[in-house]
Amino acid sequence: MLEGEVRIINQLGLHARAAAQLVKLSACYASCLTLRRPDTSAEANAKSMLDILTLAAPVNSVLLLFAEGEDEAAAFESIRELFASGFGEI
Amino acid sequence: MGTKHKIGAVIVSHGQLANELLAAAETVIGDLDNIVAVSIGWHDNVEAAKDEIQRAINSVSQGAGVLLMTDMFGGTPTNISAMFLEDGKVEIVTGVNLPMVVKFATHGDDSSLSEIAREVEEQGKQSIYRTASLFEPAKLKKDA
Repeated sequence: MLEGEVRIINQLGLHARAAAQLVKLSACYASCLTLRRPDTSAEANAKSMLDILTLAAPVNSVLLLFAEGEDEAAAFESIRELFASGFGEI
Repeated sequence: MGTKHKIGAVIVSHGQLANELLAAAETVIGDLDNIVAVSIGWHDNVEAAKDEIQRAINSVSQGAGVLLMTDMFGGTPTNISAMFLEDGKVEIVTGVNLPMVVKFATHGDDSSLSEIAREVEEQGKQSIYRTASLFEPAKLKKDA
């Protein structure tokens, strides 16, 4: 399993359209992909948009990304890139 | 087995609410070809509204069932929709909100009509927050 931090850098935070992009990308991978608040108060399946929205993650917040499965390395890297791109909103 | 038949959905509301809910969901998720909206005009007669809902059901029905999501229990859109209720074929969930439409649009293909109806109902209830309560950790823990 791979684990690492991702930072939300787009002004609107992890909102609905950003979450939809994340789901679309996550669905391309077989691995189990999870996002968790560092204080463990909330956790979400990165393939479920409504789950992701419950993280209520604003700009500058940090989440932990977990990837587990046969294509975990590729999944982990592409999701990190999506966060780093600010979901195309920068 | 051939291609799986998709469950269809019709959002039924007063005024333009149904159209706008569908438009908002499509803005977020992309085109949703198995969901249509029916807006019941404030002065439409019952027969015209019933015909419109029937046409909408037919347009999304692929044989796997159709879920009607209506705006308010007890309101005309719900009452007219109730005429179509049929076990295994048409289910109704009232009080439609955007998370319910998203839930329906993103559900897996394995669920039956009654399962997805229950999931949509549950999602609608769970998606309502008094946001200030999220900043009251002590009380949240007590409820948990």
